Amino acid sequence: MGKLDVRLFRMLKHAKGQFISIAVVVALGLCIYVSFSMTAMNMKNTVEDYYSQTNFGDIFVQVVKIPRGALDRLREMEGIGEVQGRISFDVPLKVDDAHEKVRVRIVSLPESQKKINDLYMLQGKDIHGELKKAIVLEQFAKARGIAVGDKITPYINGRMVQLDVAGIAASSEYIYLMENEQALLPAPEKFGVVYVSENFAQATFGYRDSYNEILIKVKDHDRIDDVVRMLEEELDRYGVKRIVEREDQLSHRMLTEELNQLEKTSTAIPMLFLIVAAMIIYIMLTRIVKNDRIYIGVLKAMGYGNDEILSHYVKFALVIGITGALMGNIGGILLSGLLAKTYAQFYNIPFLKIDIYYGYMFYAILFTSVFCVFAGLMGAKPVLQIMPADAMRPEIPKAGKRIFLEKAKWFWSRVSFSWKMVIRNIARSKRRFAFLVCGIALTYGIILVPIAQGNAMSAMFSLHYGEFQKMDYTIDFAKPMNRKVMVEIKQLIETEHIEPKLEYPFELRKGWRKKVVNIIGVPRNTRFYDFRDEFQRRIMLPEKGIFVTEGLAKGLQVKVGDRITIKNFMPKKDDITVEVKGIIKQYLGINAYMNIDEMENTLAEKGMVTGVSVRAKDHVQEKLKNIKYISAVQSVEDMKNAFLQFLDSAIYATGVLMLFGGSLGFAIVYNSTIISIAERSMEFSSLRVLGFDKKNIYQMITKENMLMAAIGIVIGMPVGYGMIKGIAEAFNTDMYTIPVILTPKTYIIAAVATLGFVLVAQLATLKKIYSINFIDALKNRVS
Amino acid sequence: MMDKKVLMRVEHVSKTYQMGEVVVHALQDASFELYEGEFVVILGPSGSGKSTLLNILGGMDSPSKGNVFIQGQEITNYNDRQLTVYRRDKVGFVFQFYNLIANLTARENVELATEICKDALDIDHIMEEVGLGDRKDHFPSQMSGGEQQRVAIARAVAKNPLILLCDEPTGALDFQTGIMTLSLLHKINKQFHKTVVIITHNTPIGEMADRVIKMRSGRIVEIKENIHPLPPERIEW
Repeated sequence: MGKLDVRLFRMLKHAKGQFISIAVVVALGLCIYVSFSMTAMNMKNTVEDYYSQTNFGDIFVQVVKIPRGALDRLREMEGIGEVQGRISFDVPLKVDDAHEKVRVRIVSLPESQKKINDLYMLQGKDIHGELKKAIVLEQFAKARGIAVGDKITPYINGRMVQLDVAGIAASSEYIYLMENEQALLPAPEKFGVVYVSENFAQATFGYRDSYNEILIKVKDHDRIDDVVRMLEEELDRYGVKRIVEREDQLSHRMLTEELNQLEKTSTAIPMLFLIVAAMIIYIMLTRIVKNDRIYIGVLKAMGYGNDEILSHYVKFALVIGITGALMGNIGGILLSGLLAKTYAQFYNIPFLKIDIYYGYMFYAILFTSVFCVFAGLMGAKPVLQIMPADAMRPEIPKAGKRIFLEKAKWFWSRVSFSWKMVIRNIARSKRRFAFLVCGIALTYGIILVPIAQGNAMSAMFSLHYGEFQKMDYTIDFAKPMNRKVMVEIKQLIETEHIEPKLEYPFELRKGWRKKVVNIIGVPRNTRFYDFRDEFQRRIMLPEKGIFVTEGLAKGLQVKVGDRITIKNFMPKKDDITVEVKGIIKQYLGINAYMNIDEMENTLAEKGMVTGVSVRAKDHVQEKLKNIKYISAVQSVEDMKNAFLQFLDSAIYATGVLMLFGGSLGFAIVYNSTIISIAERSMEFSSLRVLGFDKKNIYQMITKENMLMAAIGIVIGMPVGYGMIKGIAEAFNTDMYTIPVILTPKTYIIAAVATLGFVLVAQLATLKKIYSINFIDALKNRVS
Repeated sequence: MMDKKVLMRVEHVSKTYQMGEVVVHALQDASFELYEGEFVVILGPSGSGKSTLLNILGGMDSPSKGNVFIQGQEITNYNDRQLTVYRRDKVGFVFQFYNLIANLTARENVELATEICKDALDIDHIMEEVGLGDRKDHFPSQMSGGEQQRVAIARAVAKNPLILLCDEPTGALDFQTGIMTLSLLHKINKQFHKTVVIITHNTPIGEMADRVIKMRSGRIVEIKENIHPLPPERIEW
């Protein structure tokens, strides 16, 4: 090892506090990069593998009824590989607690060996066409404590049917288990899937030799749209309800969105951390080079060239960066294993395919090296200007001059002497000031984001269920009922208000863009839905025409006044076009809304409704439990609780993110303080000679940092707001729109947290200030 | 001195600096020769241009006018890289404030100089010669000024340069240590047959030189040959 390298390592050892703090910033950034990227990659591969092992379908069709023979015709169609029919119905399940409403989806399994959406058996055995035997989906079994050998009792067509649980299995179709698009979160104890034999399902549901769902594998994925178009035509006569491509399949889409978000995060955050690290390194090196002026002169006098000296300092930056990168890589690998496991558990994937992608590690090191070399070169650039002869002479001290604030006489005359010094010191080194203020603004922003995000999550919910939807319960019927049923319900429960509801999925089209969403028909004078436009103005449902949610408007690229086509899946009903009369705010889910009377006329059947919304103080769920035609009673209260549980786990993530932001703040304040102390040791020594004690000096630096932190926080507020807005826009999905809600409280919490980190960094520098040898500092001046 | 071989030749060298609107003539029309194995003292008060001259001799600065030759080779028109190579292979510097690298030991400071040049001398031998055989692993902060200056001399000599340029080598030292340092330089001049140039404002040091070049206000005012140079131990100030 060359002697310059020896010097390098001793320098690093001497500045180990700075070295570690910068390396940690790099490490944190790369840890996120490596772990998030690898997890996303591993999860994608795992899911791919899972799909191919279970022969996951490409197209899923819901029809009213299709005979077995019709499937054979489908098999012969161009582009279609495999076809499988099945019967699927959502029914209530009998549970011990009479208040609890649990629903299961009964799905039939074909007899054939090769199945589409095959199950991944975990316990027990296959049912092989045996009647009265069932396989239960893992999540549901786990949530409800169902084991092999237990009996479960669903209500089918008003009859209780007892089934023996023969096995527990996972399904690639329900990696993310949600009843439908309207459900917000998986609630595996409330909704499950039960697989039965085809014979059993056909007999009990009255589907002899016919099905209501078709699973299809296509030959060529690129031509899936052509197949869908053909299917639409071919299946029209069987009453097509929905044709869903894999990319729109609920579980698949939720999973894909989550993984895409993970990928987005995996580069954005690390970039920020690397930039901060590079900034600190730059400032640090500028300072070191300035301090080493004489040494650099000596080295040049000895015959060291510019490139050798420059590379000495760039190596300094590089060693810090590479150390951080290695730490980050190790942390990233460990974390990615953990993350993938957590994901697999959360999403119920029975196995994990984990590989270490060295590419990401390589990129991590490469990015870091580029950043560090750049920061190093910029920081060490003054080396080039130092002449060997110049280095023999001490640097001319910087001229002190009045600062602009001093011109404001009324202000300046009211400032105490020690504050005058503080303000002048800050104004004197503008670069340090800019660095610290920017750094703290950034830290503040990063801390603000998770706090605001947490608020946004709960706000999202209360906005949706308190402000937008004002009912206490939504009641869904097992099949469309005549409106007269409302009279009956009013007799069963004490309601304050009741409104009919008509809800069906339809495909909405605008040009080549299309989306399948639920259109909800509600009375024009609804008291339960508070429709508001983008300016928060209340708007009323039009007689004719449709309201679409913001997310849907974006997806279809429509604006008020455009006409969209509603593709009607119902047999003997024509497609219609309607005018978009309003674009409404809705944070959860995407929907369209119509006047219920108009919807009945144009899209459904006169006088028939699919459910009701009620406001009631009564024990609605209990009283309606045994009503056959009611398939579900959802209480807003229950959903609130489910959501609160979900938020609990989010708080943990918030804490971690805040810590990440805080570590940035720490590194910035700690380093700039250390640098400032080193730069000003002469000045401090002079102050000591004048009678200042160490405490006075420490207080002075504290005041400087706190003042700069305060300015940084003020600037950080719009920065944080911008970050939150950007994140909200980037992460908005079909499922939800993240509201940007920032209250004074949020700002204050973030400010207190930021100041806390600044203070900790400040305390960490205490030792350095106390250990300056003031006499040495004065004596060692070459002059 | 018999059959003197010219090591360096300085021909009408001038150096001017532009300082704001004022032109400073740091050095004007200096011409002389330095011989191999010679011990030369450049004497003058501060501001006389002696440091400028030393810097030009050492390839740390270029003259505004005139030419400088070493072993017949002109260095005046060298570019930055060539000057670096020149300093690396041909010149050893000793500074007033030693300028050792603080976080390298004595031996490492010497190695720092030798690891970039072609035919360096044996470091341990040199350390012995400067009397620091047992202090090799000390850091500069653990050494006295005299010891540090001896490390600096070892550092300059170990490169095996053609010429040793010393800028006020005793300036920061007390009398006793100063004399010891001069003796060491004298020994190196005789034992290793190196040309040694010392610049100083301290007139008595001139008495140990083979030749004394006196300067004032940027000009050489006198070049005096000492027929009987005094041994350094007999110098007093």
